[in-house]
Amino acid sequence: MQNKEHSFNGMWRQIVSIRGMGQVISVSIALIIMTIVFGIINPLFFSPDNTTNLLRQVVPIMIIGMGQSFVLITGGIDLSIGSVAGMSSMISATLMTAGHMNPWLAALITILACCVVGLFNGLLVSKAKLPAFIATLGTMIIARGIAQLVNGNMNTDGIPESAKVFKDLFYYGDTFGLYNPIWIGLILFIFFNFILSRTRTGRHTYAIGSNYEAAKLSGVNVILAESKVYIFSAFLAGIVGLMLTAQSGMGTMSAGNMYELNAVAASVIGGVSTMGGQGLLFGTVIGSFIWGVLNNGLQFAGAPLALRNLVIGVVVIISVLIDRVARSGKFDFRKVLKSKGVNISS
Amino acid sequence: MKKILVFLLILTMAFAFTACAPKVETPVAAAAPEAAAPAPTPTKTVYLITMDKMDQHWVNVDAGAKTMAEALGLNYKWDAPDVKDNAKQIEAVNNAVADKADLILLAANDPKAISEAVKTAKAKGVKIIYVDSAADEPAIATLSTNNRQAGVLAGQTMVDELKAAGKTSGKIGIISVNTATNSTMNRENGFKEVVAAAGYTILTTEYKDGDAAASQEAAYGFIAGNEDLVGLYGTNEGSTVGVGNAIKAAGKSIIGIGFDKSDAILGLLKDGSLKAAMAQNPFTMGYLGVAQAYAALNDKSTGPAVIDTGVAILRK
Repeated sequence: MQNKEHSFNGMWRQIVSIRGMGQVISVSIALIIMTIVFGIINPLFFSPDNTTNLLRQVVPIMIIGMGQSFVLITGGIDLSIGSVAGMSSMISATLMTAGHMNPWLAALITILACCVVGLFNGLLVSKAKLPAFIATLGTMIIARGIAQLVNGNMNTDGIPESAKVFKDLFYYGDTFGLYNPIWIGLILFIFFNFILSRTRTGRHTYAIGSNYEAAKLSGVNVILAESKVYIFSAFLAGIVGLMLTAQSGMGTMSAGNMYELNAVAASVIGGVSTMGGQGLLFGTVIGSFIWGVLNNGLQFAGAPLALRNLVIGVVVIISVLIDRVARSGKFDFRKVLKSKGVNISS
Repeated sequence: MKKILVFLLILTMAFAFTACAPKVETPVAAAAPEAAAPAPTPTKTVYLITMDKMDQHWVNVDAGAKTMAEALGLNYKWDAPDVKDNAKQIEAVNNAVADKADLILLAANDPKAISEAVKTAKAKGVKIIYVDSAADEPAIATLSTNNRQAGVLAGQTMVDELKAAGKTSGKIGIISVNTATNSTMNRENGFKEVVAAAGYTILTTEYKDGDAAASQEAAYGFIAGNEDLVGLYGTNEGSTVGVGNAIKAAGKSIIGIGFDKSDAILGLLKDGSLKAAMAQNPFTMGYLGVAQAYAALNDKSTGPAVIDTGVAILRK
């Protein structure tokens, strides 16, 4: 057995030695199996129509999930992002309808407003030392309140014809055969994956989640580093809000309801630890695909709605169980890492 | 140690897989009779997409649609978001189009929000019929309650009941769904028209998204905050259940009028917590909707473009 271990080591070991990669691989296999099964049940599942449709459905959960992953990796949680998406939808649509504003300017102002909420979250957690759960619970309610306030507790009118380019960019249009939001999701993934895996900001994100005190002692500006992740997550939630506005062609006060927890689910399925210090954005992408494929595939298979939620719930729990098992087996893991000379305590 | 870990991972994956397995049974069972009874022409697929699946109202629309679809040999599926949500309903429509639906019976959650998706579906050759609530985008036909008239009827019933109880003035509270839903807004406005004209004071409407528990709290708020409250009105199933339960809990002689027919509402009518409920005919919406769908799919006349499926007043 030991020999076998060595025979296919090399690259494999190197890949597996990345923290959290084990789970990413296992859920990727689960995703592939799932996809094949759905395709067998209903061949239309693989039709070009549905493939592009499915990709577009996955994007919002993937984008908001990436933001949540950043926060989870620091050991926090951001409960406000669903409401921030709703706020983004309402602010952008109100500016375009009642405010007669150019859609791009409206989008810019909206994103800035979302980032302010993120900064507020960040300061509450990093500077005022509130538990993330409590701080973002407060801003969750506040952001939903703002969503209701901006247009006098009414959903907005339809955004004007002149905003068609906005609708096309964020939902309806396509480029090279793929809907534009898919490209937006891809660009955001590349950018934020670069930040998390290749920059100092990324290393600090892991460091805070692994050992806050140690990170502080080793000179990490913890207030700045912790604030950043909440700004990232609010920014990404803001983008999702713009997509929701484009999709409905109007602002909806209840938009983004429960997205914060769907984002946790996507992250956790993809191997991001809710205890901090561990996770890969690629895992979150796979997690959101599992989510999307289950929802879409179960509909295509004609499964009742209640069963869909039940299955997704079971998948979330199993994913956390895998995480637990992997962590309890970390004795071996660490030996592998040490042999590769990887510094695991960050 | 590592062997155990790998083994466990595979095991959990197998679990994840079997967790998905129940879904296999449903479609296989559903697909079998279809394959066993080959139709001369390929079977057309009709989708029903409602606002959610919570209310018995939608269950009854589904029952009607299913009955007619079976009678006519159509392939039939029902889908809806788990809660009322524009984005999720748009996705349900997109999924149905990708699943090669030939016709969609749609209850629009928001007439504006869903219209772009309906337009796209039509462009791909999918036919649309509205049930319960129409969207802005034109369709073959609409089967719904004339909600404005039903609201007027509810208002008239309220006034009659109040007069019968000897209350010629006082405050009335309304629990509705949200300001974006046309059907309930029309029920609210029709009601207000009659009741205000009869000299009663109408309080600011509380919108609770059809959630029975939240509606009950809001109704309790009306009762607790207004000594001269004489009546409460709920504009849909959830709102009405909330109104009835709040009146029951308060034990005061407040007139409760509501909408829709469900077991809970029938119970509340029976014990007197509600005086009357405007019952729509959701079964008819689904039943006739699929009949029109069949006509449309076979290029036959679909009859009138708007069908008022009517209301009946339910009492004790």
